[in-house]
Amino acid sequence: MSFSFGTKTPSIALSGEVVVSGLGKSYGAARVLSDVNLVMSEGEVVSVIGPSGAGKSTFLRCLNYLETPTEGIIEIGGAKVVAGGKLPDKASLDHLRRVTGMVFQSFNLFPHLTVMENITLPQRKVLGASKEQAQETANRLLKHVGLPDKANAYPARLSGGQQQRIAIARALALSPKVMLFDEPTSALDPEIGLEVLAVMRDLADEGMTMLVVTHEMHFARDVSDRIMVMGNGGVLEIGPSKQVMSDPQNDRTRQFLKAVLDR
Amino acid sequence: MIAELLPAIARGVGLTLYVTGASLVIGGIIGLSLVGAARSPFAFVRGIATLYINVVRVIPPITWLFLIYFGLPQFALRLSTIQAAIIGFSVIASAFMAEIYRSGLLSIPDGPREAAHALGLSAATTVRHIITPQAFRVALPAIATYGIGLLKDSALASTIGVREITYYAQQSAKQTHEGLLSFIVAGALYIVISLVVALVSRQVDLGLRKKIGVA
Repeated sequence: MSFSFGTKTPSIALSGEVVVSGLGKSYGAARVLSDVNLVMSEGEVVSVIGPSGAGKSTFLRCLNYLETPTEGIIEIGGAKVVAGGKLPDKASLDHLRRVTGMVFQSFNLFPHLTVMENITLPQRKVLGASKEQAQETANRLLKHVGLPDKANAYPARLSGGQQQRIAIARALALSPKVMLFDEPTSALDPEIGLEVLAVMRDLADEGMTMLVVTHEMHFARDVSDRIMVMGNGGVLEIGPSKQVMSDPQNDRTRQFLKAVLDR
Repeated sequence: MIAELLPAIARGVGLTLYVTGASLVIGGIIGLSLVGAARSPFAFVRGIATLYINVVRVIPPITWLFLIYFGLPQFALRLSTIQAAIIGFSVIASAFMAEIYRSGLLSIPDGPREAAHALGLSAATTVRHIITPQAFRVALPAIATYGIGLLKDSALASTIGVREITYYAQQSAKQTHEGLLSFIVAGALYIVISLVVALVSRQVDLGLRKKIGVA
């Protein structure tokens, strides 16, 4: 049986879909995240914006349990975890991480491995892919992110933008259903950031489901379907990108957008 | 004179290298499990590992050698001099290597480990393929320095009769009455071996630095 309130809270997560309900996290008495709800359909791109300390990164990192939420339910691509302040059982955790791919602000490539090894190691260990299979996938993805000639380079030899594109390829190699981006361009100078944004735009066009914490307002407005504005550990408002940007409903959102757009 | 002393004393180079190398390798492997144990989720295991590391390091090497070579036979465990030396130095090296690994671990950034988690790599894979190689790369200069220290300590094995460099230097000094020269030759041999070790480790370190940068 299924019941629904409009399109907001379907009771069953479909493939590639994200359903987060009542997600919260506290450290003792300090509440850093409270009652975050989000439903994403397959292929949807949602940008998460808001001031520093709003809980954007914490929210994103709770979704694959890099941070442990203390309450709420996470359903992503068929994986379901009920939060309880500790790591879920191994099977659920593996499943959740299997369906999510994450891209970090600081790239986090493995510095002692070549670009090729960075992309093939997870495929071989997590998917059990053969060396040939893994390399084939890696070469295809390297071409995709515009770096087909960097397979044998070590990360230290690459620019930040190149490292981030490799990191995206590494995550994609495991065929995640949802990609999580945690301020992927914040550590890059604006010009270099563009090459990363271009890759993300392609990915969105290809129908990848994406949740993007970002300060790139153009990307949020032009590429994402919806924008979620966070403040003070909660959701201030969420709506179609153009509407949130041009006609925000919440005072705090208006104040934040004015600050970032007027500079 | 040196023409006679040098070959006589150089006979000990083999055992000096053998005792040092074997102890460094065995101690290095035990040290790995020690540093793992010292980070165990179980307080009891952590306590034992920490106690071992701290007790072993404060007992002088020569005391360890005597304890093992002269003490263990009382428990019906009779060891050759070489076995006793290797066991003694391995025990000592394990504690020091554990500390070196620990500092290596502390110095590597969190990011790659988080990426490994996010990619769904298992804990064992993360430790083996992501953390250990990075920590090893950081620890390499300290390991080389410790190896040279151990090389010098291995001279103590002569006190229980292991026929390494210092043992033969003592023999030569007694037989030829060329005490000063004998030990100058022994010292020179230690210098040459240390230089080679230092040079090789420096080259490896530079190579890694060029390739993967400073962690």
